[in-house]
Amino acid sequence: MGFFSPWFLVGLVGIGLPVYVHLLRRHTTPPQPFSSLMFFERGTQSSTRHRRLRYLLLFSLRAALLLLLVLAFANPFIRRAGAGASGKLLLVVVDDSFSMKAGSRFADAKQAALQVLASRPRSQRAEVMALGGRLAVLIQPIQDAGALRSAVESIPPGDSRANLGELAHGVRALVESVRMPIELHLFSDMQKTGMPANFADMELPANVSVVLHPAGKVVPNWTVESINAPAQLADPKDPKKSRVQAVIAGYGTPAASRTVSLVVNGNTIATRKVEVPADGRATVEFQPLDVPFGLNRCAIKIDSADGFPADDISVFAVKRADPERVLFVHQASDSRSPVYFGAALAAASQASFTLQSIDSEKSTDIDPSKYAFVVLSDAMALPSIFENALLQYVRGGGSVLIAAGTSAAHRARIPIFGGYSSDAHSYSRDGYAVVGETDLTHPVMNETTGKDVASNDPATNAMTAKDAAGWSDLKFYYVAGVDAPQARVIARLTDRTPLLMEKQIGEGHVLLLASGLDDLTNDFPVRPAFVPFIDRTARYLSGSDRIGSRLVDSFVPLRTAAAQAGSPAAGVEIIGPDGHRALSLTEAASAQSFQLARAGFYQIRFANGKNALIGVNPDRRESNLEPIPDDLQQLWGKSPAEPAPTRSATPDSSQEKNSHSIWWYVMLLVLVAAVAESIVASRYLGTQREEA
Amino acid sequence: MMQRFLDPAVLASISSLDLLARTVVDGFVAGLHRSPDFGFSQEFAEYRAYTPGDDLRHVDWNLFARTERCYLKRYRGDTNSQLTILLDASNSMDYTSGRGKTASKMDYARFAAASLFYLAIHNQRDAAGLIVFDDEVRNYIRPSTRQGQLYRLLAGLEQAEPHARTDFAKPLLHFQNLLHRRGIVIMFSDFYEDPAAIVRTIEPLRYHGNEVVLFHVLDPKEIRPELHGPAILVDLETDQRMEVIPEYARNDYIRKIDNHIEQLRDRTRGAGMDYHLLVTDQPLDATLREYLAIRQGGR
Repeated sequence: MGFFSPWFLVGLVGIGLPVYVHLLRRHTTPPQPFSSLMFFERGTQSSTRHRRLRYLLLFSLRAALLLLLVLAFANPFIRRAGAGASGKLLLVVVDDSFSMKAGSRFADAKQAALQVLASRPRSQRAEVMALGGRLAVLIQPIQDAGALRSAVESIPPGDSRANLGELAHGVRALVESVRMPIELHLFSDMQKTGMPANFADMELPANVSVVLHPAGKVVPNWTVESINAPAQLADPKDPKKSRVQAVIAGYGTPAASRTVSLVVNGNTIATRKVEVPADGRATVEFQPLDVPFGLNRCAIKIDSADGFPADDISVFAVKRADPERVLFVHQASDSRSPVYFGAALAAASQASFTLQSIDSEKSTDIDPSKYAFVVLSDAMALPSIFENALLQYVRGGGSVLIAAGTSAAHRARIPIFGGYSSDAHSYSRDGYAVVGETDLTHPVMNETTGKDVASNDPATNAMTAKDAAGWSDLKFYYVAGVDAPQARVIARLTDRTPLLMEKQIGEGHVLLLASGLDDLTNDFPVRPAFVPFIDRTARYLSGSDRIGSRLVDSFVPLRTAAAQAGSPAAGVEIIGPDGHRALSLTEAASAQSFQLARAGFYQIRFANGKNALIGVNPDRRESNLEPIPDDLQQLWGKSPAEPAPTRSATPDSSQEKNSHSIWWYVMLLVLVAAVAESIVASRYLGTQREEA
Repeated sequence: MMQRFLDPAVLASISSLDLLARTVVDGFVAGLHRSPDFGFSQEFAEYRAYTPGDDLRHVDWNLFARTERCYLKRYRGDTNSQLTILLDASNSMDYTSGRGKTASKMDYARFAAASLFYLAIHNQRDAAGLIVFDDEVRNYIRPSTRQGQLYRLLAGLEQAEPHARTDFAKPLLHFQNLLHRRGIVIMFSDFYEDPAAIVRTIEPLRYHGNEVVLFHVLDPKEIRPELHGPAILVDLETDQRMEVIPEYARNDYIRKIDNHIEQLRDRTRGAGMDYHLLVTDQPLDATLREYLAIRQGGR
């Protein structure tokens, strides 16, 4: 037995209080008047008799009350050798990530989990979870063997990527709620790629013992690691755009020749042989990409004949359509920005657009709805008819890119965007300003956002870093000051001046670049970062980025929050890979986003009426079946083959003792003692009053 | 059945002594069978020739009409028709064992004295007087039968507050000087004095032909004290403090007080005086009735 707060034991000196009241204070008996002491004689009791404790029961109760109260504050605990099996929660976690589809891993893992559940004591409670993209609780802690068995058997194989950091986070939260030791049994292939970046994220509380049940063996595996294909194709004969590049990667594989096929709408239209080096990568290219008009379901397949056939195919969608038109509105005196923008748009490889530039003064009769998106290049003075039409266009789902050049300084308000112009920032006297921070999570800044590119690919990472670095090399001489508190700032200069902002209006988006698209206010158009930016911006604004491929567990925005708060929302329709509707009627009318949980093609009709086809692939990090090194596994937990299966510091877990606070019981005794003291004291005090 | 006797605690709640006395006396007189010679002096004794100065109220006018001689009717009681009550108003008389439950000895004595005054004046038209004393004579109301004498006496009782300590010698000496006519002398006190000294002091009254009655007023807890533990007692008259133990109070004290009461009773009766013990938790009317019954039987 011990105390969590031993300093409160100082309060035991308070027991002296009843001793004083019962032993010492009795000497000072209040004098009682009497008629005459004529017949009395002085008498003194012997000291021992006089000093004996009066009202022993009352004294005992009062002393016990104080003692128990002090003990309750000191928070006593007892060490119970308990943590036996029934004193622990058995937590069974089955990894249902994509890599578990390799061989018989998943079935083996479930079988092992069922055996562990069957061998537990009947009185021990158990909980079942599935570890995929997130930790899913399948059944709360219970003792019912049948329910637990059903929970394990009901786990389907998934397409997500397992993350052990997510597991550790979930277990830490569980420990907070169950307040008892946990015995964690993890049935997983223990992929190295499942580890979080920081090992500390896998740290588990002290009262959690881990038993690892590795499933499956490492097998050589080839996979389609990434695909570079146009999401939108206008001319199949365009050699620059009409091509598909696929990277074939081997993990633990010898050098081998693999056959790669391009499948369009279920038909193999091309086949290539590729030599994949040992444990390396090879690129294969299909050209031209001859697909029919409309949305096409495409795939790259390899005949790997390895132990993990599920990752031998990678899907993507291509939309063949005539080039979409882009309306470029500029000032009459501005002849540079259409040239720069048009050149960048033509150089972009992922989509096909035709630029139609027009003087802002002649835009009165233009109908913006015929265009994929609209660009306002320093065109702050628009005819009111066109401005209204443009506003309706944006609210209905259209998008606009506004470049606020020097003319914004003469206008109090930015058209469409709605922000107010404040003082312009001219940096030409001091040289120039550079970009200080960028929001890489925004689609116009990050090529890899939600796309089918594995981030463990060094080349891709380098490209992303280069793009971001490209922004930091830009020189801005003039930036319009825009005060728009409701806008999302995507890029800022080093002096915190917003440079690139986005605002959602209705179903549409408005991007505002607080500088020009010419090379007078900045050197952006002549820098390498300009073309990727225009490419991503064009695809983002036209909505063509919704076509192509995504990763499992990525989210697709269905409607804007502003649109949902407005008038009755139009329904969204999603057909999943299995051919069924993925949303209920309520979700179709209100959901803002949708998680792509399964691999395959998703056909989506958005609220603004646009259709999209998305090919969803599992995270290719799941294809690397290399397990976590043994030393790391031993550091985190221990294999069940080892004699000591837990990570507990004590060698024998049955001897482990846990501290159980018993203050609650002490408080109950305090209550009982207080009631008894009240009853006894009232009786004695009544007697004392009679004496007085 | 109605409660026959009056609880002293109930009497204590009656603020008017007049009303109290009337309640007590009428109660116990009505409870007795009416007796022609009950009381102090109601019985006819003889005729006496009128002499100037006699109260004309006592002239027998019927006899005067028949004989044209003026005679006064004399009753047996006329020989001792003067009632004088001596009330001890020392501090010890203020003792009560239970405030609100039991009347103090002083109050009990007041009630008894008021009842006797009422009986004497209202029922028998005797002269009555009062001497309130402690170690001095605090108040003296000369015996009289004048109109309003009862109220004067009751007022004297009301004003009698416990004060100082008891000394029988001085007031009795004073009383002897004042007493010119024989009568009944009743003394209310707790008599915390040596019985021999008390009798020795009071005895001279008896020599003058007075009928002397001692009412010994005690609280029940003075006779049978209850102590639950060692206690410090304070003498109400001397302020002396003394630590006493329960065992002594249970044994020795009771023996001593019983002996004191016994001695006082024996010595007073031996000296030709009446002695009566009044315990303050006893109903007053019952006590007076008992006393008067004994007195009647002794006549």
